[in-house]
Order: sequence, then C-alpha cells, then structure tokens
Amino acid sequence: MQNPTDRDLMARITPIKVAIIGAGRGGTALLDLLHQISSIDIVGVTDRDLHAPGIQRARSLRIPIMDRTEELLINHGVNLIMDVTGDPAMGRFIHEHKRPETDVLSGSASRVLWELVQHEANLQAELFHAEKLAGLGSFAAGIAHDINNPLQLIMGLAENLADEKDLDRIYSQAQEIVEAVRRTSAICRDLTQYARKTSARDDTLVALNGRIDEALKIARHAAIFRKITVHKEYQEGVRVRGNPDELLHIFVNLITNAVHSMDDDGGTLTLTTQMSKSEVTVRITDTGCGIPPEMREKIFDPFFTTKAPGKGTGLGLYNVKNVITKMHGAIGVESRLDHGTTIMITFPPVPEAPS
Amino acid sequence: MQEFTSGFFMGDKATNGRILVVDDEADIRKVVRMTLQKAGYDVLEAENGEKAIETINYGENRLLLDVVICDIRMPKINGVEAIAYFRSNYPRVPVIVLTGFPDTDMATSMLRQGVVDYLVKPVEGEKLRDAVSRAMEQRELARL
Repeated sequence: MQNPTDRDLMARITPIKVAIIGAGRGGTALLDLLHQISSIDIVGVTDRDLHAPGIQRARSLRIPIMDRTEELLINHGVNLIMDVTGDPAMGRFIHEHKRPETDVLSGSASRVLWELVQHEANLQAELFHAEKLAGLGSFAAGIAHDINNPLQLIMGLAENLADEKDLDRIYSQAQEIVEAVRRTSAICRDLTQYARKTSARDDTLVALNGRIDEALKIARHAAIFRKITVHKEYQEGVRVRGNPDELLHIFVNLITNAVHSMDDDGGTLTLTTQMSKSEVTVRITDTGCGIPPEMREKIFDPFFTTKAPGKGTGLGLYNVKNVITKMHGAIGVESRLDHGTTIMITFPPVPEAPS
Repeated sequence: MQEFTSGFFMGDKATNGRILVVDDEADIRKVVRMTLQKAGYDVLEAENGEKAIETINYGENRLLLDVVICDIRMPKINGVEAIAYFRSNYPRVPVIVLTGFPDTDMATSMLRQGVVDYLVKPVEGEKLRDAVSRAMEQRELARL
C-alpha cells in the first residue's frame, strides 16, 4: 500500500495520457494549453477535416495525428478522451468504441473546460498589458529627458535665429530645428504604438531582426545607453511565428534589463539571432552585474523583483516566459556574477516557403 | 583638457564670467554656450560628471570658474554625484541645475544641498541668463 506522498509522486511522474477529438478552435486551444503541462501527454489528435487549425498545430508540435477516430479510442494507454467536436453523434460513437477504463470529457463538461481555457488566456492578456503600462511609468524620466532635450535645442536655436544675420547660419539652424522636431515626434510615435493594447490578432510570420531593432529604439527611453556599445550579430531573414506586439514587448523588457545591469560603468550589449532547420535562437548578452546563483531559479516567478517597492512589478520576466511558452519556445539564463548575463531564447522553426 | 584663459595678460577684453556647462548632449551644450556667449560669458563644456570634476581641477580653472550649470541624468558620474562633489569641494561656486525631468523631490533635495537654481528644459534664454547673473552675484559676494 502506497502512502499519499508516494501516490502524489507517482501522479507526477506518470503523465496522464490524453486523446483530443476535434481540432477546431477548442481543440487548438486545448493543444496549446495541455502541451505546456509536463504531467500531460497528448497521445493523438483527430478531426474529419484534415485542414482544421488544430491539425496544423499538432503537426508543428509533433503530436501524432490519427486518420481514424477508432484508432485513438482503442489506444491502450489513453486515460482520458476529450471530445471537443460538439457533435452528439460523436459522443455516442465514443461510448460505443472506447475501452471501459477510459474516462470521457464531452458535452457541457468540455464546454466548461473551454471557458476556463479562454478565461485563463484573458487573464494572461490583462496581466501582460498591466505590466506593460506599469513599465511605461518607469519610462517617464527617460521620455521627459528625450523630449525636453530637443525642445531645449529648438528653443535655443529659435531664439538665436531672431537676431542672426548670417544667411548660411540661419539656413543650417532652421534645418537643425526641423530635425529636432522630427526626432521628438518619432519618440511620441514609437511610444504610443508601444503602449496600445496588444492586438488579439492571429499569429503571423514575424521578422525577428526588425522586431529587435524596434525594441532597441523603445528601450533607449527606458535606460541610459550612452556608455553602452550595441553589437548586433543577426542572421539575415530570421523569422518566427507569433504575435508581433508581444514579441516587441518581450524584447523591450529583456534589453532594458540587460542595460540596467550595466548602469554604472557601461558595457557591451550583444544581440544575436540565428536560424537552423531545427530551431530559431535569440541571445541577449550583457557585460553587467550578473544574477546571483540563488536568484536564477526565481527570476521568472511572478512578483519576484530585486527593485525597490514601487519600482518594479516583478511581472516582466514572468510575462516574457509566458509569451515564449505560448509560442512553444524556451528561455534560459547563463550568468556570471560581475561578468554578465546571457538570456537565450529558442523558438520552433518556421516551415520553408509559407503559403 | 579645456582651460579658461585668465585674461589678465592676454589682452582679452574682460569676460562677464566663466561658466562650466555639464550635459551629456552635445546639442544642449552648444545652445547653452550660444545663449551665454551672447551675454558675454566664457563657457567650458563637460559631457558627464567625471569630465566636469576633471575640468574643475585642471590648471587654473578652480580659481577662475564662477558658476556650474549641471544636468542630472547622465552616464558615468551623474549630476547628483557631481553636484555633491562640487558642493563639498568648491562650496563657493554656485551650481545651477538644468534638467529634462521636472521632479519635485529631486528639486527639493538639490536646493537643500545648496544648488542656487533648478531649471527645467526647455528654458528660455532670458531665464537662463537671469539665473546665471544671480548666481554670478553670489559668486562675487563669496569672493569678498
């Protein structure tokens, strides 16, 4: 007889084997969610329509796709069949063909599960936005600095123009004023674009190098880059499938962290992108203060922060990790105290020649 | 390293005063210099607190310098640290803060440290020259 702790342990190391019937919206959401949970093993997916979105997703996640539903139902190891077809005939079919020991989740039970999944996704989105807005608060000093400096230049030049007699100087200073106005309005444009709510649009192909460059522009308002050398090692044409707004935000977050870690003495920020047949890799490397070993485990936990109360939400890296997990990627940290930190992100590869 | 010319032996016409402008943005140093030179001041520039401290300690600058105009948010030694240095090592040289970020807490703490003025960019030329001329009067009094 096992005691309860042994049973808990068994439950944790023996994954629950799940079969998903139906690969529409519900099936896709289930795949996305269950795939992230290590104690759940998706043994297969099936749908009458081989072009259903969940079938595509299963293919990219390397989850077996069955042509015939019966194959899944009589599969020996399956503990739970999840029927998200919404088809009453399917319910009867499952009960006729399944093994007696296999549990079935269908009808309104799977509706409830679907609602929970949706609810969870909405909460994540709200949290993501809240953290982004809280982060913008810490931009305030940087933005004021970046806007008021060109304004000071404009003020000084304009005052000078009022009694400048030299035509060449008048011309060049007027040009300088126009340039300063352009710079200032670019700041406002970048930031308003960044602050807006992340669109819930479907994932698209995103050119990573462009996103990282965009993030670099925004991060320049959040941290002082003057003593930082930025080094880019981009492989050309690196792409991933994901939400461009979310990707922008996570790169702003990671770049800002990296630059903050080099605050006092400056240093080098190295941004690397690589693409191979098996994965897409992004590395963000700084030569900053490093992360103490005892903290490395916790940095992705919600509400973990080393900043003073009111200065950080502790949700930055938590959200970064969520976005990456949702994209079926992974994030890792390598750090040496007083030498620097590398954040390494891997994403699944994008199939060649998209339709 | 830049140095003020004392003017006693060079035959220059007397200056209205010698000012060190500390700001990380070259554009800002340029327009502040422009504004002050028009009012007859000599200007030296430093791009951060470290350079500012080097400059004030160089040659005869420590004797000739009248007023410091200093930004807050800068890399290397920032304005807060540089101002603390100036106040403790050169208490008779008035310091004017010229910053891009209006922050009441910062202003209060700076004024408490003996900063004579706290100006927020963008500042009009006239206002800047008024602040400098008030600081210059203080400097004169301190010399007596």
